[in-house]
Amino acid sequence: MTKYILSRTLRSLLTVVIVFVTVFMLLRLMPLTGYFPQEILKETDEATRMTYLRNQGLLDHPFVQLWRFVKNLFQGDLGRSLTVYPKVPIATLLKEKIPVTAAFGFSSMVLGIILGISLGLLMVRYKDRWGDRLGTFYILVVRAVPSLIYLFFIQVWISKWFNLPLVFYKDRPESWILPTICLSLGSIAYYALWLRRFMVDEENRDYVKFAQVKGLPKKVVLRRHVFKNAMIPLVIYLPSDLLFIISGSLVIESLYAIPGTGGLLTNAIKSQDNNLVQVIVLMYAILSVIGVFLGDLLVAFVDPRIKLTEGE
Amino acid sequence: MKRALALLLALLLVIPMAACQTGNPSAADPTEAPAPTATQEPQEVQNAAEGIIGGKKYLKVYKTSFSSSYSSFNYFSTAYSTVRSIVSNCIDGLVEPDIYGVYVPSIAESWETNEDQTVWTFKIREGVNWVDHEGKDTGLAVTAEDFVDGIRYIGDPQNDAYSLRVVRNLIEGLYDYYWNLDDIDDPEVQTDLVRDEVIASFDETVGVKALDEYTVQYTLTSSAPYFLSLIESSMLLLPVEYDYAMEMGDDFAVDNEHMLYCGAYYISHFERDKAITLTKNPLYWDLEHITVDTVEYQMVPEGTTSLEMFKRGEVDDTSVEAEEYLSMAGTEWEDKLIPSERSLSTNYLWLDFQGENPEFNTFIQNENFRKALQYSLNREAIATLRDPVNPARILRNTINAEDAIFDGNGVDYTDYEPLKAIKETNYSNPELARQYMEAAVAELCEADGTIKGIEACTVDYLPVGTFEVDGKLPVTVIYVGTDDESEIIMAQLMKAMVEEAIGTDLINFEIAAFSGWTYGTVADPLNYDIYFDSLSTGYADPSGLLTRMTTDGAENVGCYEVPEYDALIEKSLNAATFEERLQYFAEAEAYLCNGAYVIPFISSLRGYYMTNSMPFTSPLTLYGNSKYKGTLVMEEPLTYDEYKTLEAAYDIARTEALKEN
Repeated sequence: MTKYILSRTLRSLLTVVIVFVTVFMLLRLMPLTGYFPQEILKETDEATRMTYLRNQGLLDHPFVQLWRFVKNLFQGDLGRSLTVYPKVPIATLLKEKIPVTAAFGFSSMVLGIILGISLGLLMVRYKDRWGDRLGTFYILVVRAVPSLIYLFFIQVWISKWFNLPLVFYKDRPESWILPTICLSLGSIAYYALWLRRFMVDEENRDYVKFAQVKGLPKKVVLRRHVFKNAMIPLVIYLPSDLLFIISGSLVIESLYAIPGTGGLLTNAIKSQDNNLVQVIVLMYAILSVIGVFLGDLLVAFVDPRIKLTEGE
Repeated sequence: MKRALALLLALLLVIPMAACQTGNPSAADPTEAPAPTATQEPQEVQNAAEGIIGGKKYLKVYKTSFSSSYSSFNYFSTAYSTVRSIVSNCIDGLVEPDIYGVYVPSIAESWETNEDQTVWTFKIREGVNWVDHEGKDTGLAVTAEDFVDGIRYIGDPQNDAYSLRVVRNLIEGLYDYYWNLDDIDDPEVQTDLVRDEVIASFDETVGVKALDEYTVQYTLTSSAPYFLSLIESSMLLLPVEYDYAMEMGDDFAVDNEHMLYCGAYYISHFERDKAITLTKNPLYWDLEHITVDTVEYQMVPEGTTSLEMFKRGEVDDTSVEAEEYLSMAGTEWEDKLIPSERSLSTNYLWLDFQGENPEFNTFIQNENFRKALQYSLNREAIATLRDPVNPARILRNTINAEDAIFDGNGVDYTDYEPLKAIKETNYSNPELARQYMEAAVAELCEADGTIKGIEACTVDYLPVGTFEVDGKLPVTVIYVGTDDESEIIMAQLMKAMVEEAIGTDLINFEIAAFSGWTYGTVADPLNYDIYFDSLSTGYADPSGLLTRMTTDGAENVGCYEVPEYDALIEKSLNAATFEERLQYFAEAEAYLCNGAYVIPFISSLRGYYMTNSMPFTSPLTLYGNSKYKGTLVMEEPLTYDEYKTLEAAYDIARTEALKEN
């Protein structure tokens, strides 16, 4: 196990380094005009723009810039935003934004798991009957209808019917309800769909038929054997949700005016905010490999058939 | 979806109408420096308004929204226009406009200028102190040196005030000071200059001086009768507590806690991308004119949400786009929709004179072809997309906006001939467009429809795309726009108009909607034949726009060459009087428009708004600022009838006020 963890850690580190360096270099291929918003680009002359870029160190050789960034990183300095939030320390930005997004991400994940699994169980329990059809209808709506339509509906009409705020306010707990529900709609459908599918698959296995022949009640078979085994493929993806928890949702954060990380990376890329892009990519890459890594460990933990190393 | 449907509905409503012009409000005289008028008493305004529309209760809190992030409050290095609306309430400049747009004292109690208006001297009021983000007195007085230090700050390239072109060119010595420092900082430039010595020379070499503790004097490189309007519009002429700013370094004004305030409000609360609260500055020099104690901003990125919040009483104002207007017709809100008042920004069609499309490149050099394009657009129909009820108010044929620049006699610059004739021309004339095109074809094509000297080829406008042209009629025109749905609809409308007016036998108008559209990928590298953009009149002088549109001007993105225009601009800049200057500028602008080197067609004005604030009670800020000083906030929304009644009274009062100045 130790050998596996060590080797996996090294491979993960290599992955992070490759992703980071690739993104870093790609950013340096972007046109220099991209560092200036259109309204400013038209207001300034090229010589002044070059002066600004030189002051920011953007005209230095990419390797010089890379070395400077890495050196500062090891000194705990993430740098300052260039264009999206000019001169604001990136550490400050992340400190402000990640907790908000993470709080929503975590609560919506919990809600998604609870309601998604419940719905999945309901669909299996009442397979080909009303419960299943209702669940299938929900999944179809969430996955097939453009999300903006039902998200707008929820924001405008549900908020009106239940007298809930239209946007998020930090100091009003009731304003958390609708965005959390909206964020969890997709994962409810995801967990319900896959749990139903895996449970139906399991139900057709010989060991289930054997248990039923032995006289175990269907409820017991479902709870003790089918559900447990059907959850394994779902459980291994849970750590990957780490990334989704902090990356936020562009649409929902925009709709409810949540000052989180949703859209931060997109904005940073569009505005060529190199420093911000680098830090976010680095953070996301680390979280991704950790998520996958934890998923692998978790599967070995929950599924006794899987061993992480040949010797074990 | 809803937006798209509404836009389609708006399209269906498009009908050809005779062009007509927006009204020409009375003149202001911002260039006559002395004899400042006092700000009108709010009580006076309130009484006048109540006399017209009946008694109202006024609130002390104003709640509003913003849709895009306030990235920083550094008013020197953050050139984003959105920052102005906050900064103009927090940092007072030397002068400010009153409710009629006449400049009145602010931090400066009085001012004077020399005969040719190259030297401006301001007497600063005493007893104004900087406060911090809690409204506490710092004990630091706002003095003449703070205005000098503002220029000192932006004059150093290391402070990143990169949007300083206008001010750098105008203040004597600043241009050399800036570039000397830049030469020192640039490792590729050999220079004997020493940074500390250049910085120490600022007081001697740059034309801004503190004559005494409360007198600041600006010496300009050329006559600037519009200087007061520049003070209003440019954040670069605001004061700064230099030692404090230097101590803060890169942190200066990145949030509310790292800046000092001398305006009507200080930022008491700042939550990035979420909320901003402005609180009345208890030490403000003009406290009696502050009618709103607190202004609460909250971020609402979606316009639909903002509208719904207004209906629920959660904000005191909201904008209403044209498509939303249609959905509100017949509801209880219809009588509360107020048309947006003014926009100094003009929408243009830019034409590429040096593009790779040989067909377009041949035709665009021909004036008849350009005029064919110019006359083929039904501008009012396009304006209907912005305002389905009264599109005529959006039309604009000139580069500079009306009601923005006035001469010493109060005459609007756009009323100078020959610009006035252009302003009043109806450019929607399909028959004339066809005639011009036929004339162009006769000059540029063989009898069989082959364009002279042009062969079939592939036009490389990557990353926008590649296009095949055959060197024959119809001439292929590639319009490059963004993938914004309203812009796509406008482009489709233009295509229909141009092809219908000129004829598909002579022109093929292709639309390339480019999702990664940026100035740097489309306009700057000339990857277009025609594209749509806007420019704004920045202060009360045509030079702000027109000097940048000369043959080698930064704004000449289409790369035309018009020496006649350049000569007129040169004449304008050397004119003896302001009126003569405006006359030459008007001739130059008319030359550019008449020759259809650029095609201005509508203003950026769009849609309607609803508000709980009494109109015409706060300063008339024309150049991008917005001030809450004097604003009266009502409990109920303003109705259209109330607005019209107040507007009529205001127009009369404004005319009188302007006459007095």
